Amino acid sequence: MTSKERIRAVLLHRKADRTPLDFGATTVTGIHILVIEKLREYYGFEKRPVKLTEPYQMLGEIDDELLAAMNIDVIGFGPRLTMFGFPNEGWKEFRTFWGQEILVPEKFITTLDENGDLLIYPQGDVSFSPSGKMPKSSYFFDAIIRQGPVDEEKLNPEDNLEEYGVLSDEDLQYWNKNLEIIKRTDKAVVANIGGTGIGDIALVPGTFLKQPKGIRDVAEWYMSTVMRPDYIRTIFEKQTDIAIKNLETVFGIVGNEIDILYVCGTDFGTQNSTFCSPETFDEMWLPYYKKINDWVHENTGWKTFKHSCGAVEILMDRFIRAGFDIINPVQINARGMDTRVLKEKYGDKLVFWGGGVDTQKVLPFGEPEEVKNQVFEQCVILSEGSGFVFNTVHNIQANVPVENVVAMLEALKEFNKQASHY
Amino acid sequence: MEQLLEQIAICVEFGKINKLAPYPPDMKGQDGADELTGKALDQGISADDVLQKALIKGMEKVGIKFRENKIFVPQVLMSAKAMHTAMEHLKPSFQSGTIRRKGIFVIGTVAGDLHDIGKNLVSMMIEGNGWQVIDLGTDVKPEKFIEMAKANPGCKVGLSALLTTTMGNMEKTVKELKEQIPGIIVLIGGAPVNDNFREKIGADFYSPDPQGAVEYLNKLVA
Ligand code: B12
Repeated sequence: MTSKERIRAVLLHRKADRTPLDFGATTVTGIHILVIEKLREYYGFEKRPVKLTEPYQMLGEIDDELLAAMNIDVIGFGPRLTMFGFPNEGWKEFRTFWGQEILVPEKFITTLDENGDLLIYPQGDVSFSPSGKMPKSSYFFDAIIRQGPVDEEKLNPEDNLEEYGVLSDEDLQYWNKNLEIIKRTDKAVVANIGGTGIGDIALVPGTFLKQPKGIRDVAEWYMSTVMRPDYIRTIFEKQTDIAIKNLETVFGIVGNEIDILYVCGTDFGTQNSTFCSPETFDEMWLPYYKKINDWVHENTGWKTFKHSCGAVEILMDRFIRAGFDIINPVQINARGMDTRVLKEKYGDKLVFWGGGVDTQKVLPFGEPEEVKNQVFEQCVILSEGSGFVFNTVHNIQANVPVENVVAMLEALKEFNKQASHY
Repeated sequence: MEQLLEQIAICVEFGKINKLAPYPPDMKGQDGADELTGKALDQGISADDVLQKALIKGMEKVGIKFRENKIFVPQVLMSAKAMHTAMEHLKPSFQSGTIRRKGIFVIGTVAGDLHDIGKNLVSMMIEGNGWQVIDLGTDVKPEKFIEMAKANPGCKVGLSALLTTTMGNMEKTVKELKEQIPGIIVLIGGAPVNDNFREKIGADFYSPDPQGAVEYLNKLVA
């Protein structure tokens, strides 16, 4: 089987020759640049600066050498512009706080503040206030909240819709260019066209906008979901309509050459609970998700991907009703996220993309042996009857020892060898 | 008087800020924490009574309902907002010292970490329980915690960490605090943290939710 055939089989809950693997196809299944450098070193590849592909979380490019060495089955394309509103082009060298030489896009423009923390500017434009900050002791950026005073009378949902527009000519060129790679690869392809994430708290601060308007503060946004539900619903509704138009356009270019649509990264779970009640989910989110998923299923052969961290067992039924095919990251260490239960209750309807190893204890702090054992155990549970794409729980963070990443990959290989004898 | 205090407590519990506030829908058009607190003080009810018998009572219900997953982050934030609106009226009494608070609680998210939703909830809940809270924000270096703890003798300190990459900074902060200020009480919390980790790094108390911290702090001053 080629990688593409393998993933397609798994997405249809059919038997594949082995459990497929993703690293780097999305911005929630990636690897921090520091670990990428260590992995290249481990495999004995030429030492060279890693390319930064996602500047907010500092995720790096999984190049062809790594794709092959790690046996990765899927590649991905994000929107043309990154979280800070610039395209990934015109590479230049940059040295991180931890002394790593990397390549960053031309418009990755930074300054240091009075504490020595790193500031980054929206669309690389220093005439506006910075939209991200990386503290000296951190490994990635955080959004700088730029929230003006909220005047109830003047609140206009359009202000929160600035980032959701019809795709530009440049966007279309970008997808046309991607199409060449997409056609050539034997890997499965995930596409995130942007604008389909409904109320994602990571996007609310508008780090890509020069001067965001509307509700941009995290707490203010959460409160708005109960205090100004009509405002929020209007945003969701208009955003959904624009998104569907854009999906039509992109489908016109790439057709069924892509396999999966990354729809939404809104986190509904905390460690022990959810951010809203299931009833609120039904009322505020489900209708819009359903509209997008229905459009995709009626008009394309794509499968749809939903990311939500945390304890979301209670919402799984609803994700299914909303029409999602794939759920990620399967945060196995959060309350109620026992993969045996999840697989048993939802395994025939949802593909689990992640959950291969715990990332709060085992992967960063465990011994390689522990990592192996857990990976093996999770694979046994999650691969049963197909419907599982291997990934950790969320991106591999900067502090994960490379030995543990290697142990994880070895365990997966071992599992695949044994499983093929079933 | 009892009835007015009861009404304020209800406003805090359900997040009714003021008369104009559209939330919660079933209290539309009614007086909120803002108007009712003003009324209470005008009627000669003491600021201390407003704090003890209305705000603390309301916030306690919030803490319990949140722990039991009956309400969620947005509702807690609304309640905290109602509480803060009421507290504005009490400010002069806080400043003149006519209201006695239970103590000072210094809180922050540790260095390198910028998750603050949970830390903010803890901060609000403890404030709503009658403590003076000094919130240092996110990415707080050990030196900053030490500086604030030294400036406020007897204060208790709360640390929040949501990432495995910052748990080490939490450990470092606890160690340095304990070295510099022997006997200082340190509480910890956040998604990847648990009681084993607390024991390992020598902090005094771990709680998975704000209400646990409130109950622990209250025991200390009981
Ligand atoms: C919301 C969220 C975000 C938001 C944060 C917004 C903000 N301003 O805080 C955004 C989207 C920006 C974000 C970003 C990231 N996140 Co995040 N995030 C979450 C999420 C989904 C929920 C956290 C939350 O707010 N919960 C709600 C509050 C109410 O709960 P809480 O914080 O746990 O706090 C409660 C208790 O813990 C306790 N408590 C907390 N502090 C204290 C302190 C004391 C003293 C006490 C007593 C109690 C206490 O009381 C609180 C109230 O009940 C968690 C998932 C999870 N399982 O927790 C991931 C999670 C924490 N994130 C994670 C990651 C990896 C990230 C990123 C690093 C992503 C990346 N680069 O790969 C980024 C970087 C963030 C940054 N720059 O610092 C991982 C961490 C895993 C790990 N290895 O450590 C998690 C666990 C998700 C996962 N799937 O694994 N994130």
